[in-house]
Amino acid sequence: MVPKKTKSGSKRVIPSDNIISTTEKLMRRLLEAGANDVVLNAATIFAQQTKFANNKIVKTGTSESQHISVFSVWTKRVVETSLKEFTDSHIDELVNKASKFAAHLPQSNSYDGISDGPFGYKELPYDKTIKLSGEKHADITEGAVNAALEEGAKRCSGILETHDWKSFLLTSHSVEAQDQGSSVYFSLRAFVDKEASGHKVAASRRMADVKFDDLARTAAGFAVDAVNPKPGPMGTGFDIVFEPFPFAILLEHAGSSASAFDVDAGVSFLQGKIGKQVGSSKVTLADDPLVPVGYGSTTYDSEGVPTGRTEIIKDGKLMTYLHNTSTAKRYKTKTTANAGLISPHHWNLVLEPGKKSREELISQVRDGIYVTNLWYTRFQNYVTGDFSTIPRDAIFLIKNGKLSSSVKGIRITSNMLDILKGIDSVGKESENIHAWEVDSSVITPPVLVKGVNITKPTA
Amino acid sequence: MQEADNGLADFIVSHLTKKGATYAEARLETYSGDGFLLKNGVMDAAGFETTTGMGVRYVINGTLGFFDINMMEKDSVIRTADASFTMTNSAFKIGDKVKMSEEKAVKKKYEVKEKRKLADVDADEKIGYVIGLDKALIESGADVTTRYLSYNDGMKEKYFVNSEGSEITARIPRVDLFYLFTVKEGNQTVQRTHSAAAAGGFEFTKSWKLEEEIPREAKALKRNMKEGVKAPAGMTDIVVAPEVTGIMAHESVGHPYEADRILGREGAQAGESFVTKDMIGTRIGSEIVTVVDDPTMENAFGHFLFDDEGVPSRRKFLMKEGMINEFLQNRETAAEFGIKSNGSSRASMYGVEAILRMSNTFVLPGKWKEDELIRDTKHGVYFKNFMEWNIDDLRLNQRYVASEAYLIENGELTRPVKNPVIEVNTPALWGSINAIADRIELHPGNCGKGEPMQGIPVTMGGPTLRFRAPMR
Repeated sequence: MVPKKTKSGSKRVIPSDNIISTTEKLMRRLLEAGANDVVLNAATIFAQQTKFANNKIVKTGTSESQHISVFSVWTKRVVETSLKEFTDSHIDELVNKASKFAAHLPQSNSYDGISDGPFGYKELPYDKTIKLSGEKHADITEGAVNAALEEGAKRCSGILETHDWKSFLLTSHSVEAQDQGSSVYFSLRAFVDKEASGHKVAASRRMADVKFDDLARTAAGFAVDAVNPKPGPMGTGFDIVFEPFPFAILLEHAGSSASAFDVDAGVSFLQGKIGKQVGSSKVTLADDPLVPVGYGSTTYDSEGVPTGRTEIIKDGKLMTYLHNTSTAKRYKTKTTANAGLISPHHWNLVLEPGKKSREELISQVRDGIYVTNLWYTRFQNYVTGDFSTIPRDAIFLIKNGKLSSSVKGIRITSNMLDILKGIDSVGKESENIHAWEVDSSVITPPVLVKGVNITKPTA
Repeated sequence: MQEADNGLADFIVSHLTKKGATYAEARLETYSGDGFLLKNGVMDAAGFETTTGMGVRYVINGTLGFFDINMMEKDSVIRTADASFTMTNSAFKIGDKVKMSEEKAVKKKYEVKEKRKLADVDADEKIGYVIGLDKALIESGADVTTRYLSYNDGMKEKYFVNSEGSEITARIPRVDLFYLFTVKEGNQTVQRTHSAAAAGGFEFTKSWKLEEEIPREAKALKRNMKEGVKAPAGMTDIVVAPEVTGIMAHESVGHPYEADRILGREGAQAGESFVTKDMIGTRIGSEIVTVVDDPTMENAFGHFLFDDEGVPSRRKFLMKEGMINEFLQNRETAAEFGIKSNGSSRASMYGVEAILRMSNTFVLPGKWKEDELIRDTKHGVYFKNFMEWNIDDLRLNQRYVASEAYLIENGELTRPVKNPVIEVNTPALWGSINAIADRIELHPGNCGKGEPMQGIPVTMGGPTLRFRAPMR
């Protein structure tokens, strides 16, 4: 392996010579065959997973893969594919097929080019211990499960995942970039019984940032406090304090709705709202790909454009959608370095924290609900933002500023704009959330939302 | 699929057994397919994929290990196997002691035939099909403000081999069309999303008749916004069409009857179940309700003949005449229950472990003619289809909001109803069913479960049926 210099001049550990030479060869062949714009993103990924249930490890997983994602444009005809076997014959086969495939396609009026390089890039922390952590998974899991049991949980289920990757990006527009990354994701759901549970998750680029045992104790604490839940209330105008985990699930919908692709596709409640108030003055929501240990951090997007912080909502006002070069031209603005070559997307969605502790948020509520997790969020209308979602795990009533009884069986039936506009206070303790219902990375503190509707079955 | 890769699968099973695995299996997959995305009339993206990879599962010291790789050389596979072995060995101290039900070894090849092979239909025709549907939507005359259609097809070839002597080769083609559109009427909008899909060739695109159904839906939704009335409040006779019957069966019968949920193995992911191990024979629905899960239906989207543990699939009667009758089982859960697997283990791709999944889940037909059932209903609401839905993770508290719905007045469908809501608990729903029609439809979906998330082809459906529930 020969260390190469990036355009910014710093040394990086790079993918293997084979993957680089294959990528370069594929680029040459595609351009020779007539492609106008080409983006090749090569990656090698090593991932390990430990799944546990009922306090026992029920499966270990190890995954190793390599591929080159191929984005090629032939006179505004966009063809996406990938190369997974790095031989000359596979390269030839792919190029021939892409060329013939493109000939059948209508031109895409929505495609308007990729950015010209070269660029310089910042660096993010890389935790080399993560790749070697597979043997430690069992100890980490055992420690966390024991911590939860000591706190009073009866059983625990969850996942520990570690990822290590190297990537090499090459475009027909003078962009060449290399990176390596690491990440860890931990999820633990503690049960006292079927109806009394608590769930916490954590994610980072660095192993040391995840406090496995503390997380387990918190989840178990929720479960212990949630025993014997009573049927919850229903009605309008509830004040709800959301833990970071459930609020990240809602914010992710705000993040995806900010994608210019989603706006055009009719799956965004932010359609037509640039410059308008879409949240309370307490809401400043940004995409920040350069959070040093953010689970979704990256120094360049899928076109190789250097990333940076983008304020999507500032003091409640919608400032911009998230763009790649093509969507930006269509919207007469500049790329926000959020490619997705077809669909722009956020990297780390960050809700700007406030100054209040979790306890202070709860103390503000006279009659409300504390929600520690959500589940099965579904939209009746993506454009209006009408949806419902189900509080899961520990749910507590708040009476006169204090947590009181545990409840069950309720549903939040609301609208995304109403949720954002109903944000009364934002907490100060942010957590990086990635989870079963949060595909991406969301960094948010707890939040107090006023005026939320609650429904439930009456039979 | 290349013979050399099959040899690699055979090799790794033998290699793992020699290294001390008490059980080993390899699932080698090759997938090849095309996809087209048309957004507001513009072909935003199109592409093709060819993927080969192998997922390997084994048991050592009672602990279950899984690894996957897409580098099909012996050295790479051994390297990944070694890393996996080291990890699984270290998990032994808190590893669950996996038991597997005893099943017969199977040597079999099968395939789903295509009248029009997906690989032989050129891109022009596939694109033309999608553009034709888009045109039909525009020409519906409804004020359609956004249009999103995606077409995907592909052939998946699998070679399954295990250390007990099973060798199964399967070739299953699948084709699907997804659509989402927005209709405007004054200041109101309404959306519809649905899909059509089959295990089979391109010939199925004709049988779906989407060029008629999509514009019909657009016009109906436009009328719904213009003329729709509020749903009646309180206990109401509700008649649901097969699409709604299907989602109810999937969410509140299929999922809670998955034995891995019942045993807690999916606790931190898709959740658990209100159903317990000892509830077989418990009444949960009215005696006219029987719900099955049947992977053997050849061209249904959830079709397969052998599951991803090499066990033959069969029809399972999940709810029989209103009683909880059978759970979905794989070899691990079946061993816990002391029974045989019923062949319900599936993985969405080579790179993930096989877990318990539904296939084609539906309510069996009853005796009523659909028109008689409506005529027999004095006052009620008819749910033609739905948009928003959800259910809690124990599978009790569920909600369905109609996209297209109508009042039933004196036995006739009359005025459209705007967004009527069913919000009901599972026993109350299935226990109040009092009439079931004699014609079934199956509607496709990609069911999500597992971590990482595995979207897997299924269908859900049944006949039109009637029950009483609170309406708002």
